[in-house]
Amino acid sequence: MKAHGKTTEERIIAKHQEALHRGFQAWPSLAYDRPPAMGDARWTADLILATWTQAETGRPPTNGLEYKVGQSGGGFDALTFKFLPGEQWLPEQEAIDTSIPLNRRPYDRNIQIPVPWYGAGMSYGSISEQIMLARAKAARQWDTFTSSGEGGYPESLVPYREHVITQVATGMFGVREETILWAPIVEFKYAQGAKPGLGGHLLGDKTTVAVAKMRESVPWVSLFSPFPFHSVYSVEDHKKHIDWIKAIHPDALIAVKVSTPTDVDMVAVGSYYAGAHIIQIDGAYGGTGAAPEIAKKNIAMPIELAIPKVHRFLVQEGIREEVVLMASGGIRTADDIAKAIALGADGCILGTTELVALGCTRCSNCERGRGCPFGLTTTDPQLSQLVDPDWGAERISHLYASFQLQLRAILRRLGLRSVQELRGRRDLLIYRKEGHHEPAATH
Amino acid sequence: MPDPVRFPVDDAFEQAPVAEARAAGGDFSLAQSLEVVVLEQDAPSSNAYHRYHIETQNTPDIVPLPPKFQVKVKKHRLIAMVLKELFELKGDLPVALSRPCVYGVFSRPVGGLAPREELCVGCLRCTVQFPGMVQIYPNPERQRLGDSLVRPEDIDTILYEARTGRVPVRGAGYRGPFGGEGWDGLWTDMSEIVRPTRDGIHGREFISTAVDIGEKPAFLHFDEHGEAVGPVPTMIAAQVPFLFDMPANAARSKALLSIFAETARQIETLALIPIPSVIQFSLEGQHVVPVIAKSTWSWLDRLSWSPCMVMLDGWDRECYDELRRRFPGSIACVRVPMDTDVLELVQQGVRVFHLSANYHGYAGDRFVMDLILQAHQRLVETGVREEVTLIGSGGIFMAEHVPKAIICGLDAVALDVALAVALQARFNGECLDRETAALSFPRLDTAWGVQRLKNLAASWRDQLLEVLGAMGLREVRRLRGEIGRCMFQKDLEREAFCEQGSEL
Repeated sequence: MKAHGKTTEERIIAKHQEALHRGFQAWPSLAYDRPPAMGDARWTADLILATWTQAETGRPPTNGLEYKVGQSGGGFDALTFKFLPGEQWLPEQEAIDTSIPLNRRPYDRNIQIPVPWYGAGMSYGSISEQIMLARAKAARQWDTFTSSGEGGYPESLVPYREHVITQVATGMFGVREETILWAPIVEFKYAQGAKPGLGGHLLGDKTTVAVAKMRESVPWVSLFSPFPFHSVYSVEDHKKHIDWIKAIHPDALIAVKVSTPTDVDMVAVGSYYAGAHIIQIDGAYGGTGAAPEIAKKNIAMPIELAIPKVHRFLVQEGIREEVVLMASGGIRTADDIAKAIALGADGCILGTTELVALGCTRCSNCERGRGCPFGLTTTDPQLSQLVDPDWGAERISHLYASFQLQLRAILRRLGLRSVQELRGRRDLLIYRKEGHHEPAATH
Repeated sequence: MPDPVRFPVDDAFEQAPVAEARAAGGDFSLAQSLEVVVLEQDAPSSNAYHRYHIETQNTPDIVPLPPKFQVKVKKHRLIAMVLKELFELKGDLPVALSRPCVYGVFSRPVGGLAPREELCVGCLRCTVQFPGMVQIYPNPERQRLGDSLVRPEDIDTILYEARTGRVPVRGAGYRGPFGGEGWDGLWTDMSEIVRPTRDGIHGREFISTAVDIGEKPAFLHFDEHGEAVGPVPTMIAAQVPFLFDMPANAARSKALLSIFAETARQIETLALIPIPSVIQFSLEGQHVVPVIAKSTWSWLDRLSWSPCMVMLDGWDRECYDELRRRFPGSIACVRVPMDTDVLELVQQGVRVFHLSANYHGYAGDRFVMDLILQAHQRLVETGVREEVTLIGSGGIFMAEHVPKAIICGLDAVALDVALAVALQARFNGECLDRETAALSFPRLDTAWGVQRLKNLAASWRDQLLEVLGAMGLREVRRLRGEIGRCMFQKDLEREAFCEQGSEL
């Protein structure tokens, strides 16, 4: 056993870090079967362990772990692909393009990412600086993005700024002229799926001295990002916000993150006309912070139902080819990504999945006391050291590799040469709920 | 409690207060005649601003719950590992004895040899680190709580709410199934940009959770002097849209009913109590609603005070008329099964209904959600919805069920099983209806019980505020029947996944 370090604290951290890494390898091997208390309907024990395997190896598991769907009984878990007969699959050697553009307008900066996903906004405070760094490093490695979330922009992220989206939310934490100027993409967070219409809330226990300094507030006091933007009560007001960012940084692309109300399609159209390049619709299955259980379960529709609604309306309005639609809040697997795209999204935004790759067991204690016992959703000085940013970046990077591999396999079986061809192809999906076997609609 | 001025709604009572007042030459203005009775605990002075608030206080369980998880440690392996580490680390005790749990499960001096299971939150860090040594299991004893409808996790949630009075908050996203049957197949709306100000520089804007229960004629009629004649509104304003329903037949102890009545008084709502219990236990007050059935009619003679509202259990034209005659100043409510044709009773003069289903939310073979929608819609279509109050009960046992039931068309709900769970009642088998439910309550202390129910009410009210705030609504009255502000799973799934016209 290794327990290197000068101080006792360093040696204790080294001991537990090593034990954790051993555990992340051992459990997915199923040598101890599945942990009986692990998982839930959405993230089953199999999905968690399969994600650990992918983060370790860069490939999906081959030992029988279910790595495609959970057991929620609906949504992505009830959708399957209508694959072509084997003889019509594209050959292995044929290149499959998984890239997507993040600006579909004929003007403004052209940004292309090689995979149809980037990292979700998770604030400093809700996660540790180590995790932010790990995500930024992985984003740079894959030439994609991660988002700062609304908790400030740690200095350590500056070297990765070409791959960091600056989030502007109602608390305006960390929103400064330079953080906007650094960002290739600026993201407005109007709402988030885990607590739609309720704003953000960082509990006092997690507002450490460092977090408070970053957010320019008082340590150990709960911080609210009130809902909504008190300066925005219409699409016109929203446009003013976008104009304000464009005035500071004309070259930045603008993303708008919204939840999934009944009129989410109208919201998307409004955002487009206000000048947004990317519309992110966020479902309730993600989130790392404290959120009322009543909100997660009951307010706003699941992302699987919102994507086709928005896509269809953008098509009807004749603007679908000018705006990028990204889905987030419940994207767990490569299959989920492919299904979201087939339902109408251009790509997806990953948050919880990356944390699971880093060892999250989905225990839902992110907000309790010192925060995550695995050092993920915490700013506790000791616990956060359990994750080394380089180790974390490698895990996320491996997960991305596995997802790309699977996505290409899906496209190959569907006879598609590019992920962009998959967008809105609901005719390639079958919705199978228990006792029902109905085809999805034609696109 | 202010002395209310009330008016009847039909011809039989036409000579009541307006006419009497006029005959007496009194100055009886419309403002007075439309007075709504506000149920209050301690009436503030008329000039004082009274912002409704429920006092919460941490009120621990009196019956210890089994731990959520079992922590099984292979002790011989643990001892061997510690010895090995001590050897490899050259006696570095702090490192060798450092424990993986941040919640104190291994915080006893002997650590993992005697884990404190009650502290385990199921994070699994210990088992991830030491798979061959520690295993965490869901505790089967805990899994047995509740019945086929009220799941162990629901019991946990209600107990947390009753213990703390707080809104249940957890990290990470939603963990449950995709939608589901009954209430789970309905999502409420939110607004991206419009909502009452919350926690901003102007503080938290007030959202009203008060509801009106009573008789509300569509039009007022005035005589040549400008005085209101004929039916005028007679209402009670309860400060929360939930009432306390009668407990299961086998659980009607004095302690329990006293807790209901006192809590109703303190939070300014109503407790529905069978009339024999009202008399036997000397329960009295404007927050007590005597429930009278034909079989308990004889007890009515012993009721020496005039309640705000009386409830007739089961429709009977003669009994209803007699109640109206005996209590001209009271609101008369009729309790009928949820699948009753309410329109028929409206035509017979009834304006306040308690629609009841069994504890699992069924009347006949239909779930309450569909039945409420149907009853509400029928009243809307015939243009009388605004004149009628619909209270509903059955299958409403979680905080989210309250706004959902109101969206479907109720004015207020009556709580049943949730109250029993908050008071730590144990389910003995299926808790299906009032007649057969076997609930065992612990020995109830009134102060403890009242605070538990106040905590539950505060938590549910706060959760209702979250839902209303997210929708941009400033009062719960506006939520009633707003089905345009909710989403039904079956509709959305059909729209998203099905060929036009095909059924899921």
